[in-house]
Amino acid sequence: MGKNVLLVDDSSTMRKIVGRSLRQAGIEFDNIFEAADGLEALEVLEKEKVDIVLSDINMPNMDGIAFLREKATRDAIKNIPVLMISTETGDDIIGEAKSLGALGAIKKPFTPDKVNEVLGPLL
Amino acid sequence: MLNSLNIGNEIIAGCKDVFSTMLMVDLEPGEVVVQQKVDIKSNITSMIGLGGGLKGLLAVHCPQTVATHITSTFLGMDVDEIDDDVKDAIGEIANMVAGNLKISCASADVNIELAIPTSIVGDSFYVSGNAQSTRLVVPFFMEQDCFWIELMYVLNS
Repeated sequence: MGKNVLLVDDSSTMRKIVGRSLRQAGIEFDNIFEAADGLEALEVLEKEKVDIVLSDINMPNMDGIAFLREKATRDAIKNIPVLMISTETGDDIIGEAKSLGALGAIKKPFTPDKVNEVLGPLL
Repeated sequence: MLNSLNIGNEIIAGCKDVFSTMLMVDLEPGEVVVQQKVDIKSNITSMIGLGGGLKGLLAVHCPQTVATHITSTFLGMDVDEIDDDVKDAIGEIANMVAGNLKISCASADVNIELAIPTSIVGDSFYVSGNAQSTRLVVPFFMEQDCFWIELMYVLNS
């Protein structure tokens, strides 16, 4: 069975760009699910089989850090890996994300090669 | 300290990085204008609020030709009119340019907090800031037309 990814970003444009970058990087997923904030992401994770999450940090309603915090409390989904894709790359906020289970971060702007370099070894 | 940074140059470097990385476009920056009126011909403006050590806003002002070209390139499809995709795409440009400025300022021990971008469609408005704020405008030229990045800020001592 192939792998599924969930893209979480309040920008629909950025979700499309990330999806296209995955294809350009040669990373194929059977399904690409999308969510506009952390709340929507939690709903998707509870319903669908997701192998990895690529999430923004600055989002309305529930941001990426709050999403990680809430996800960590839910047994059924807490072990699904998350990689942050954000303009927020400071040691403090990425350190907080990692302490809540994030595997790492990709800085916006990014190239498909960068996505492959960071995401490839995690799959 | 922020005095060690040339904010105009940081905006130029940050914006060129965004366009070369995400759009494969080599921007030609114009002269940085500080505290002077600039004639901006814009049909869409995306703004992002800045807080923390540097308070104010960063705005990206685009004529329709530039905004639709950026969006077309981002999405890989033809876009002719300013719609929700265009508002979203220009908001992301503002977000990434502000993100690069945040990294630059952090290197000078000034920590900026970023809000979420807001886009306004229209051409009969101007952005007004605090009387004490510094206003800086940088034009950028690309094949289609020119667009502007405006930064208004006060240092939070």
